[in-house]
Amino acid sequence: AEFRLGLLTPPPHIWTKAAEAFAADLNSASDGAHSVQVFPARQLGNEAQMMQQLQTGALDMAFLTVAEVSNRVPDLGAFYAPYLATDIDHAGRILRSDTAREMLKPLPAKAGVVGLGLGMAGLRQIVSREEVTSAEDLSGLKLRITPFAPIFDFYEELGAAPTPMPLPSVYDALANGQVDAIDMDAELIWVLKYHEHAKTIVQSDHMMFPVVGLVSARVWKDLGEEDRAMIAELMARHLDSTIDTYATKEPEWLDNLKALDLTMTKAGPEFFADVIAEWDSKWAAKSPSLPAIRAAAEATR
Amino acid sequence: MTIAVFILCMFCAVPVAFVLILTAITYVQASGNAVLLDSFAQQLFSGLENYGLLAIPLFMMTGELMNEGGMTRRLVQAARVFVGGFRGGLAYINLLANMFMAAIIGSAASQIAVMSRAMVPEMKQEGYRPGFAAATTAAGGLLAPVVPPSMMFVIYGVLAQLPIGDMFIAGILPGLLLFGAFVIVITLIGVAQGFPQGQWMSRSEAAQALLGCLPASLIPVTIIGGILFGIATPTESAAVASLAAFTMAWFSGQRLTLPRLFRLFRRTAVNSGMVVFMIAAANVFGWVVVYEALPQKLAASITAITSDPFLFLLIVNALLLFVGMLIDGIAAVILVTPILLPIATGSYDIDPFQFGVVMCLNLVLGLLTPPVGVGLFITSSMTGIRVAEILSALWPFLLSVAVVLVALSYWPLLSTALL
Amino acid sequence: MLQTFSRRWARAELACAAALAAAITALILLNVLTRSVGFALYWVDELAVYAMIWMTLLAASAAVHHKDAVAVTIATDALPQDAARVLSRLVDAVIFALALLTAWFCWRWFLPLEFARAGFDVETFQGATFNFIYSEPTNTLGLRKVWVWSIMWVFAFGLILHSLSNLTTATDRKGTS
Ligand code: NA
Ligand code: NA
Repeated sequence: AEFRLGLLTPPPHIWTKAAEAFAADLNSASDGAHSVQVFPARQLGNEAQMMQQLQTGALDMAFLTVAEVSNRVPDLGAFYAPYLATDIDHAGRILRSDTAREMLKPLPAKAGVVGLGLGMAGLRQIVSREEVTSAEDLSGLKLRITPFAPIFDFYEELGAAPTPMPLPSVYDALANGQVDAIDMDAELIWVLKYHEHAKTIVQSDHMMFPVVGLVSARVWKDLGEEDRAMIAELMARHLDSTIDTYATKEPEWLDNLKALDLTMTKAGPEFFADVIAEWDSKWAAKSPSLPAIRAAAEATR
Repeated sequence: MTIAVFILCMFCAVPVAFVLILTAITYVQASGNAVLLDSFAQQLFSGLENYGLLAIPLFMMTGELMNEGGMTRRLVQAARVFVGGFRGGLAYINLLANMFMAAIIGSAASQIAVMSRAMVPEMKQEGYRPGFAAATTAAGGLLAPVVPPSMMFVIYGVLAQLPIGDMFIAGILPGLLLFGAFVIVITLIGVAQGFPQGQWMSRSEAAQALLGCLPASLIPVTIIGGILFGIATPTESAAVASLAAFTMAWFSGQRLTLPRLFRLFRRTAVNSGMVVFMIAAANVFGWVVVYEALPQKLAASITAITSDPFLFLLIVNALLLFVGMLIDGIAAVILVTPILLPIATGSYDIDPFQFGVVMCLNLVLGLLTPPVGVGLFITSSMTGIRVAEILSALWPFLLSVAVVLVALSYWPLLSTALL
Repeated sequence: MLQTFSRRWARAELACAAALAAAITALILLNVLTRSVGFALYWVDELAVYAMIWMTLLAASAAVHHKDAVAVTIATDALPQDAARVLSRLVDAVIFALALLTAWFCWRWFLPLEFARAGFDVETFQGATFNFIYSEPTNTLGLRKVWVWSIMWVFAFGLILHSLSNLTTATDRKGTS
């Protein structure tokens, strides 16, 4: 069959390359019976729209941030528990755990999509125009976030004013002071040059930012067992490859940033003190999987 | 089949938005992807879920409020001070007032609407041919989306992930170039046809006119200042400009009664609703086109033809001219940017600001080209002058825009020098 | 009777659209104001976008009543009056057909009968239909998206009403060019 796969990232991005590689592999593994047309750079709409298209079956597949899915299935918010992972390699081990894969099981009933695998982007850092030496310094700052509940709650606990804003507006907003700080990963801080107008980087590694490979449940139910197995295996493998890519690339981006004339401070869980416990107690109610994923993180530390 | 439905409906005067929707439905039906019909209503809705589109009602509101406060008339008076005495003075006044207006308004459609009501009757009265009066006004409207602020640049900047403020700056030189080109066209037409005599103002009249437009000149200052100092995003600056225009109308002694304001809001809703609904329809149309991966096939065939950036831009220009004939400018920008920009910057190393300026001006031109020329229809419905008559006077202006486009394509510095 | 109702409905649509146009400006100004005093509001952007969409759809429906939507009339202007009148009626018929299609699309999207059959229980409905319309959240408003989407029904109803009224009266299309 001819499948369509949509995602948010531009063509050179690691996720897009993984999608293209998946498309090529599926085509050859099925001896040309299946082909996948990749639609990068939100050509088919933003993530919410792609999600809706998956649900109606208009779109067959997508690589979406877990953040988008967690707006519909709050249980997945557990992936965003602050300091779930200590570093990027640990984040990879958590995403490869059975617990993480188990959390995708309810997706067909809850959101009309089948989750076939998890991949990764870098850990979250904080970039600020003002000096930040303690968590109190973040209080009262206008801080740009991607709009989803777990990250909103994290910064609200910190006393910051979390301001949702789409990625394309961020550079401007940071340059002209519309926001004081942003929540971002090392890749985009380096590639999109956010350091040009904000000279303080708190290398906090406070959260991971996984991507999930989805197939429309309506499309899935019409597929044969053999096809399902082939698609599931290949998609999971290529998403998994992004974990290794980020594990090697992220230190490079951070080194690039360190070479610049910036104030870079490292921050660990102690920096945010009580906020992490507050977040956990709030999310224990929303996400039943939170204790399990914390345990899985402990086991893979 | 699909093309037949499109052409037939279009020329039988089915409203453009409905033509696009019908064509999309026919295409879906013909391609056998009937599953798309289940999300059709949803897609129509979600095409509108775009923060950038908010600029449209906001810019229109600013235009309406400026008109209501008599500010359009004051700008025209101020323009009179500088060029009123030349032969054909009123034609130059029209152009200069359009230039002032362009520094306030971000959308060609709303500027054309406001200015054709203000200028065309006056030009007709002084003995200009109605077609020429309307054509000058319509062409002057093309300055709106090039001279900052610009709704189109906002939308392009969002899609291309460029700082909107820089995108605005990139439009300054091209805006002046376009203005210069129009001045030349008007001068040449004047030599050929013989324009009515102009009249200089007395010194006291001139002083009064300049003083009168001083408050209006605060609006561009509000907009640019708001963006530079981080008080407002470009979209928000349009709202701030509305507030400024409202305040000025209030203090200029206008009685802004509630019924009068209500009528103003209703006009804003009707006019911007018309434009935005066309964009929604074009979005559904575009979604179906992208879904069928037509752009990818197109991109592949372009890169096979040439490796020269200038030649590539010329091909793109020709292509966009065709796109602009059929599809509304803003919808076309939304549709085309994600497809062409990666090729331009990736395969040809073209500066994204230059590409944005060329593409936006080209697609704006589509406002004034048949068969789908929203700007033409607006001018026509505001002035009662037939489209054919406007077109017969408009072609020299369109030609001059084409020349400007070639220049902008050849010299990247024209767009990037001020950055 | 039908004409009167169509006229009154269009007037109501435009009154709402006008109020929404004012609301959009007010909301965006509120955003500027609250942010500049360090109290950024999370939900204003999304609400303003929805206000714009509602305004647009209401105005677009009313435009069918007033027959003032943008159309290409180059060819039709050249026709003799009788032929133009027939063609105008044909266009009314096309719009009426499209109005019915729009309602049908809404029906397939909202699946009201199935929803009732599921006892208006979202989980049961989703399990039976794989349709997630009733559980889709808005981003920041804390409201089900279906309330926002419900404007599509109003839009479809307005289109049907106005186009049917046009089809049964002999008013001529306003020449836009
Ligand atoms: Na402008
Ligand atoms: Na055109």
